[in-house]
Amino acid sequence: MNTDDNLKLFLETTGIQGFQHAAEGLSGMLGEQITPTRPATRMVPLVEIPNVLGGPEREAVGIYLQSEGDLVAQFVLVLPFEKACELVDLVIGEPVGTTKVLGSMERSALGEIGNITTGYFLNRVATIMHWDARPSPPAVIVDMVGAILNVVTATVAGISDEVLMLQGTFVRAGREVEVMFWIIPDANSLDMFKDARS
Amino acid sequence: MADQALPVGLGEIKISNSPGDVLVAYGLGSCVGVGMYDPVAKVAGMLHAVLPQSLNGTEQVPGKFVTTGVPKLIEEMEKAGALRSRLQVRMAGGANMLTAPGAKQAFNIGERNVLQAHTTLDTLRMRLQAEDVGGTVGRTVRLFVNDGRMTVKALGSQEKALT
Repeated sequence: MNTDDNLKLFLETTGIQGFQHAAEGLSGMLGEQITPTRPATRMVPLVEIPNVLGGPEREAVGIYLQSEGDLVAQFVLVLPFEKACELVDLVIGEPVGTTKVLGSMERSALGEIGNITTGYFLNRVATIMHWDARPSPPAVIVDMVGAILNVVTATVAGISDEVLMLQGTFVRAGREVEVMFWIIPDANSLDMFKDARS
Repeated sequence: MADQALPVGLGEIKISNSPGDVLVAYGLGSCVGVGMYDPVAKVAGMLHAVLPQSLNGTEQVPGKFVTTGVPKLIEEMEKAGALRSRLQVRMAGGANMLTAPGAKQAFNIGERNVLQAHTTLDTLRMRLQAEDVGGTVGRTVRLFVNDGRMTVKALGSQEKALT
């Protein structure tokens, strides 16, 4: 994935707009205002990927989706386990610390967050590029950070040395949860981005 | 003296003959960790491979791939004084982290990594002594230089010896 500077800028801008739109979607889902703050992007070298969020052995939650259509890509939201529990509390309106185990209902709530975040990102891309893209059903993984992000590293290891990572915070009534959103377009989609931007 | 953890990152090969060292590949998902140990020379080595093989055959980092990483690991072990015929070979990892409908087919990389490791070791006439592979959970694998113990730990489970 040889991302030139213009393409990086475009993906970053779209990613940030997508994140902001995702907060709108969450607000709609919850019927309360969710504010996106401090969205930022960076290209992360492949070898550094497992070291995010406190290291490869830390317990975390990954929400994984693929998109199909004109944009074929993978999306992984990753957050520390305790933050995922807080996010569930935030979504269902419970006091922080209520959720301690991620059962099927909690996983479903997290999957829906992945759906909305990815869906709004795809909508943003579709609007800008006039493309059609649909997200797959989400998969929620609870495991070590390194193992979850192996999904990302295994996909790109053969073709790229870096991956676009979007980081931001959702805030609801003064409570905030930071999430990492990894975006991995396939080689053909990346070429289409390049062609469209040139 | 406390053990010194020597992390083996993505695509890396690490060798050690320092008795206090422990080679560690943290949080393996679909990746495989291949450990080799010469009990006489007390040389240990570990490979953390990401994919079965290079797409274009021109990869600059041999440790990224099973096909290039395994022979390179043997080569580095021999350079450090190990004897090929004495090498104890063990492997862990190769999980399928995605079990969602439709995702498995695209992501059988763990299984492919394991199959490729078997094939490559067979080709090199190296016997795999033990393995803990597959499944749907991540693993941390450790190889102790002083006695050649190799252990595997999954989230929420006890660390177990790979023998």
